[in-house]
Amino acid sequence: MTLAPPQASGARLISVRVEDRPGVLQRVTNCLSRRGHRLLSCAVGEGSRQGELCLWLRVDTGRQPPAQAALQLAKLIDVVEVADLTEEAPSEWAVGLFDFPDPRAKGLERELERFGAQVVERSAERLLAALSGPPQLLEAARKAFTSMRLRDWVCSRPIALATTGGRHEPITQEEG
Amino acid sequence: MASLAAFRSEFEPGPELEVLPSQCGAQALLAALVREGVDTVFGIPGGANLPIYQHLPDFPIRHILVRHEQGAAHMADGYARASGRVGVCLATSGPGALNLITGLATAHFDSVPVVAITGQVAAPTIGTDAFQESDVIGSCLSVTKHSYQVQHADDLEEIVAEAFHVARTGRPGAVLIDIPKDVQQALVGLKRPLGRHRVHRAPTEPPDRQIAAAAAHLGAARRPVILAGRGVAIAGAEEVLRRLAETVDAPVGTTLLGTGVFPSPHPLGLGLVGFMGTGYCNLAVSECDCLVMVGMRADDRVTCRLDGFAPRAEHIIHINIDPAELGKTVDADCQIVGDAREVLERLCVAVRPQARPEWRRQVDGWRERHPLRHPRNGRLQPQEVLSAYYSRRRRGDITVADVGLNQMWAAMSWTGGEPGIFLNSGGQGTMGFALPAAVGAQAANPDRRVFAVCGEGGLVMTLQELATAVEAQLPVKVLILDNRQLGMVRQFQDDFYGGVRSQVDHLVTPDFSMLARAFGCFGAVVERHDEVGPALDAAIAHPGPAVVDFRIDPEAGIFPIVPLGGALSEFVECPYP
Ligand SMILES: Cc1ncc(C[n+]2csc(CCOP(=O)(O)OP(=O)(O)O)c2C)c(N)n1
Repeated sequence: MTLAPPQASGARLISVRVEDRPGVLQRVTNCLSRRGHRLLSCAVGEGSRQGELCLWLRVDTGRQPPAQAALQLAKLIDVVEVADLTEEAPSEWAVGLFDFPDPRAKGLERELERFGAQVVERSAERLLAALSGPPQLLEAARKAFTSMRLRDWVCSRPIALATTGGRHEPITQEEG
Repeated sequence: MASLAAFRSEFEPGPELEVLPSQCGAQALLAALVREGVDTVFGIPGGANLPIYQHLPDFPIRHILVRHEQGAAHMADGYARASGRVGVCLATSGPGALNLITGLATAHFDSVPVVAITGQVAAPTIGTDAFQESDVIGSCLSVTKHSYQVQHADDLEEIVAEAFHVARTGRPGAVLIDIPKDVQQALVGLKRPLGRHRVHRAPTEPPDRQIAAAAAHLGAARRPVILAGRGVAIAGAEEVLRRLAETVDAPVGTTLLGTGVFPSPHPLGLGLVGFMGTGYCNLAVSECDCLVMVGMRADDRVTCRLDGFAPRAEHIIHINIDPAELGKTVDADCQIVGDAREVLERLCVAVRPQARPEWRRQVDGWRERHPLRHPRNGRLQPQEVLSAYYSRRRRGDITVADVGLNQMWAAMSWTGGEPGIFLNSGGQGTMGFALPAAVGAQAANPDRRVFAVCGEGGLVMTLQELATAVEAQLPVKVLILDNRQLGMVRQFQDDFYGGVRSQVDHLVTPDFSMLARAFGCFGAVVERHDEVGPALDAAIAHPGPAVVDFRIDPEAGIFPIVPLGGALSEFVECPYP
């Protein structure tokens, strides 16, 4: 497994629900690397079920049949459910933080407003803005903010929910 | 009938030993093992597992003291393969634990249920590079089905139960339990639930339409072939496999790991498929119009060049308990996830009896034109030794092959009139497997005769376990097909690497008969044809472990063989008449 740019062709978007146990991430990444898959990106979050984590993996399965990554992951004992979302038009959502050295830069407020970014922190030397949305929105914002003397930025990999698949029953009170 | 089914015992829990609050983790572990039906463990004590060894004598478990942890893992593996029960091995932390890895990989790749229990440095020192600390969980990730590092003594009972369940259910495999020393010594308090008990995905029942489709493909076929692997033995499907083959009149080949699941003298038997398969089996697969693969993975040693594997098959039906194996290499159009026996039983009901005399005639023609041949040059041939050995085989005898030419000769010459026990390392091809695995198989089956067929190269990799066999009074018989060479590598160099023989000659080999005697075994050397039978009889008659060194023709090779990168049908036959 190598970390590679996310635009690699043939990438699958796989969501994995795992039991939140020590070493579970290592098991997941080892399963992929052992099979020659490249992990392009990984987001980790909580899901609606207690004691479980949700992972969203973008995986280039290389020469292996595309279904292999999900099938092999599904065999891990700590894995509860695997869904290959690639063909399912999933709703993807990411978060970005943008650090500007000059809060008074010309046009900055207007650009922040245009993208719907929220100001998280403001001082004489810094404006920190947060933005969440589909990865394409964050990418467009990053490009636009670059001309506003952007000092630094970070962006999470997207989390996703499938429009089909995944859970079907409504979440009960206890679980939520 | 000496089938694996006869060895296979359904999981029988052992006596309930209550875990009392005054007990420590080591005692809780041992009680849990007894509850899992464990009667024998293989291992070596060391600093990090001494609490376990301190309490071991108080429990009804036989401990077999091995001479190297790799031997312990192979013994647990051999025990499991020859009994259907879970094999257990113990090691201390650091080097002890790491020495298990080859053995665990060997078992895991061949879907053998083994549980390894390693001592670990005390929890507070983990991560400090403490003496004999090793990240055995990390090191074993890709050679185990699952692993646990126990955090609390109270969790042990539940972890052991889950580990055994994971090892033996679905596609069996190796499981590791790593227990820090302080956890072994900690008093067991009130039982702490691990959380909800994990229900592992049971293999789904394949839908009727899949069975019906497979039956329809078989019914419409004119040239069907069945290939069977170890999954058939694991599931106890030998008998139903034979019934299906006879019902639809389809010849049956086996993978190396499937050796013995179909009787070789049966008119439908094709022997081994693949890289070093029989010519007639490989031709039948190459010409078939419908291929059934059951309980097998179809790795590169089976398929050879992928586009040359069953190129004329209109339908490929692949039956495996592991969904990830379906479509991994061979893109079968009919993929059935399920237990081999259950699926074959349903298939047997769904198919109609058919005779295919024309196809049978064609296959028999290949059988006549491409028989297994070996040179007759006056020197002792491995096939002659093996045929003398197999002619002495009794029902229920267990044969364990090592790796290399010896393994292929032993598998190819297999002449079980009924499904038998033929064990070998197929997935990893681990040299040094046979002797310790035979010791484990013997421990599981004290009343059966167990033979290890080895090359001299593989044998010396785990030779020290002769001491274990003698000490534990496990009378395995070791048959060395001694060519004073790393024979299989030599043949590869001759055939595929420009004939450059590089680092394959054993210019020094020990006098194995003296060495055997030094360990307290019976030892004999055989150089002439007329000595073969008497030496075998003497070894068999000896009440303890025995080693017979058969000095075979150093130039003997394996034929047929498919050239590297070649298709199954491109096999090369023995150049000698
Ligand atoms: C542990 C291990 N190391 C190396 C190999 C590669 N290898 C495969 S067969 C073979 C030669 C085996 O020689 P020997 O045990 O004398 O058996 P022979 O082939 O001569 O019957 C080797 C080195 C292996 N399979 N396993």
